[in-house]
Amino acid sequence: MIKIENLTKSYRTPAGRHYVFKDLNLQLPSGKSVAIIGRNGAGKSTLLRMIGGIDQPDSGLITTDKTISWPVGLSGGFQGSLSGRENVKFVARLYAKKDQLKEKIAFVEEFAQLGKYFDMPIKNYSSGMKSRLGFGLSMAFKFDYYLVDEVTAVGDARFRAKCARLFKIRHAESSFLMVSHNLNSLKEFCDMAIYIGRDNEVLLFHDIEEAITQYSFEWKT
Amino acid sequence: MSRSGYNVQKSAINALFFREIRTRFGKYRLGYLWAVLEPSAHLLVLLFFFGFIMHRTMPDISFPLFLINGIIPYFIFSNITQRSIGAIEANQGLFNYRPIKPIDTIIARAKLEAVIYVAVYILLMIVVGMTGENISVNNVLKLVSAWGLLILFSCGIGVIFMVTGHFLPEAQKLFPVVLKPLYFISGIMFPLHAIPKEYWPYLLWNPILHAVEVSREAVVAGYVSEGVSLEYLAIVTLATLFIGLAIYRTREEAMMTS
Repeated sequence: MIKIENLTKSYRTPAGRHYVFKDLNLQLPSGKSVAIIGRNGAGKSTLLRMIGGIDQPDSGLITTDKTISWPVGLSGGFQGSLSGRENVKFVARLYAKKDQLKEKIAFVEEFAQLGKYFDMPIKNYSSGMKSRLGFGLSMAFKFDYYLVDEVTAVGDARFRAKCARLFKIRHAESSFLMVSHNLNSLKEFCDMAIYIGRDNEVLLFHDIEEAITQYSFEWKT
Repeated sequence: MSRSGYNVQKSAINALFFREIRTRFGKYRLGYLWAVLEPSAHLLVLLFFFGFIMHRTMPDISFPLFLINGIIPYFIFSNITQRSIGAIEANQGLFNYRPIKPIDTIIARAKLEAVIYVAVYILLMIVVGMTGENISVNNVLKLVSAWGLLILFSCGIGVIFMVTGHFLPEAQKLFPVVLKPLYFISGIMFPLHAIPKEYWPYLLWNPILHAVEVSREAVVAGYVSEGVSLEYLAIVTLATLFIGLAIYRTREEAMMTS
């Protein structure tokens, strides 16, 4: 379970303080995948990052006894002058035990299919190669929750199919917290939804379909 | 699955340490050896040139020993502190990985600089010793304490720079200006006793000078530098670390808030 209590988050803007969330209270039950739905700039990614512990609220508490991943497919943490292998090793050192290093690296190498590029500096990668590495890296580790922020499908049809297969395997054992503008993928992977509506009111829908209906309705009017 | 905070931090520092060493030296053919060879070569060139000039002005002490024990402590201090200045901004991408906290980047860097320069120091001392200079490592404990305190002191300053620099970006411009003159007033090129005594009170507030002179005392027979003390270095280090950790502790969350 993830428990959000009295959470407030604001940003300073030239026009004064802008409140993204005010006194938010939510409880996300264990074992459920949750979509976060809302218009651009509603604070979806901010909420996701705060749940993941990589951004902090102004006040309030987020408590959980579950493990939460970094944003899936993240490539911002890569060091450009290091090879794919070295970057994977770095993250493996952070999250895995020493005796698992080799296994994690082998997994990513096998999955990302970068061939000899795996041992070349990341700055020479195309953006597609980088996201393949990032995606493979995230999937190499087991978390209770995966944070998924707009993962767009990468690579050719075969690679995309492979991603989808792996995604489903992980989905069977873990939960997702997902932000996406692709409503179909939200429907496919999520059970329930946090809906951020107009005036930043936050609603929790226990049925994803209802949230999407609400979203489409509000979008039209 | 859940690990203790100590273990998480240990693995974060370890991962950062290897990442850093890889980034800086991984692309060379001799790899990690360059980590030691590069500063050693730099120092040997300095020794060679200054050795000629200075030998005449300071006939009573071995100049190479004098310089090695001055410049290496200074390099340790300057490398740790200088890179701490923009550490938050430079490592922003890394903070997406939850185990990594800003202070880990400084600890990892300090560990790397310490390992490199201790190796350089040992290497150069052996080289100098082989050329027939009279080295008498008469007080290893004193040497180790001086360097240990200096490294901790540098970490303290580094943390202060990192935190204040983050909340006051203007300070990031100011810190290098403050650091530069330290090269000239830390007794790297001159011994303390070459300065008239009436100016000592102005020079002796500088803890780096203490670290430098104390480590000279520890390895050069008959070199006594009255005025410097390990106690002063220890007290300043303690105070600096306390201030650094205190402001870090109160501002850590804010530093990781967007």
